Amino acid sequence: MISDLRARYGRGRLRSLKWLLDPYAAAGVYLLLIAFVLHRQGPAPGLSIACAILPFQLVMATTINALTSVQLRGSIIVNMSFRRLLIPVASAVTESIAFTASLTLLALMMAIYGVATTTAVAWLPLVLLVTFVFALALAYPAALVGLWYQEVNNFIISGVRTAFFLAAGVVALGQTHGGAHLMLSLNPLTAIFESYRDVLLYGQAPAAWELLYPVGVAALLLGGFVRLFNREQSQFAKVIE
Amino acid sequence: MSAFVRANGAGVRFQFDHQRRVVTPAMGRFRRAGPTLWGLRGVTFAIGPGEGVALVGPSGSGKTSLLRLSAGVLVPDEGWIDVGGRVGSLLAVQAGLMPRLTGRENASLLGVLAGMSAAETRRSLAAIKERSGLEDAFERAVSSYSLGMRARLGFAVADCRDVDVLVLDEVHDALDQQFREIVAERAEVIRSRGGVVIAAGHDHSVLGRMCERAIHLEHGAVVDDGPFERVREAYLQSVAAVAEEAVPVVPVSGNQRD
Repeated sequence: MISDLRARYGRGRLRSLKWLLDPYAAAGVYLLLIAFVLHRQGPAPGLSIACAILPFQLVMATTINALTSVQLRGSIIVNMSFRRLLIPVASAVTESIAFTASLTLLALMMAIYGVATTTAVAWLPLVLLVTFVFALALAYPAALVGLWYQEVNNFIISGVRTAFFLAAGVVALGQTHGGAHLMLSLNPLTAIFESYRDVLLYGQAPAAWELLYPVGVAALLLGGFVRLFNREQSQFAKVIE
Repeated sequence: MSAFVRANGAGVRFQFDHQRRVVTPAMGRFRRAGPTLWGLRGVTFAIGPGEGVALVGPSGSGKTSLLRLSAGVLVPDEGWIDVGGRVGSLLAVQAGLMPRLTGRENASLLGVLAGMSAAETRRSLAAIKERSGLEDAFERAVSSYSLGMRARLGFAVADCRDVDVLVLDEVHDALDQQFREIVAERAEVIRSRGGVVIAAGHDHSVLGRMCERAIHLEHGAVVDDGPFERVREAYLQSVAAVAEEAVPVVPVSGNQRD
């Protein structure tokens, strides 16, 4: 994790600044496009889109990190025995530390749109935890796929990016109807995005499904892929080199 | 201390796909199957406390696979291997070092991965710095290190936990003479405490200093096991015999014969 953070932010006094600016740079394009260029309607469109983009950045960054996580640690894997099951955890934790800086962007958006903080913000730690668990659950299959099929890494990244647009990211779920509403609801990312909007934008507790659905999907992924990763990890040294 | 390494019928299998890439069993289900190769098969031996064992054999004979089994990097696909004691391994000149990190940061990372607590790792850093002999370079990024410096740091980290089983693979070939002496001395200390040293390399004089026993591997199988000098001589003779057979025989024409 430390090595990942060093690789991401480098060294020196500007490291903290890079850490703070990173989420702004990552989310900036979407925010400019949605909030200002397209003049989206609805309450606090910039905050609404930030509630989707920021947790998605954690999911996306964790997936990208995990795709190369085993290869990057190749020299350690072939040299010594250690708990390789922790490699995807390191990816998720590293990106989560980077993600905490992005919370300042949410606060900034609330200030810009004059959205007051309510007691619902007490749900934020749980919402953050759900996001972390979901990102972690994706890290295990991503790490394996990144090792098995390095040539499809870009395809996987595009797939995750597509998942954002198949969720209630650009448009809040409440602004959709009929079949689109149902389809967007099936995407666990929608539940995560809506939980942020509930807590920060609408000032209400997140609905139970918004927390339970992504956790359920994460539990299924973890149940299958942690076992598979554990079985495969004893073979890593054969494949890496 | 009663360190040991025991193996019974241990084997390591490499599964390839149709493009001759090594695949894991799960990967193999999604790819068209290629050949299977046993890097090691039916290997049985017992190394007891205080023993130093050299692995000799040509490249591809299974030395690295056997060292990786001993270090827990690989698990056998058949048979079993049992290792008693705390293992320190240095199986590649890169020594598990991350180029972007400094020597100190690498030492911290590898210490924690090896099972030490963060506090233990911090306490051991001064000793690692001293043992590696890197001095100021310890604070520099490893990307600026020579192979020898990397091997020095890797060895100092592998040895920092008072290991019971030291596993070395050809890395001392990258070390300078001074540090080879240090490695040989450390190996002696480990063995004198009842530990085990297993090493492979092509510098037999270094191996001979650390080991009094040798295992000769060919095509993934043990072909000889005994006193270092005897096994080494037999191995070198077999190499010479193979080289002799490989010398092309030039047919002599009738005129030339005359």
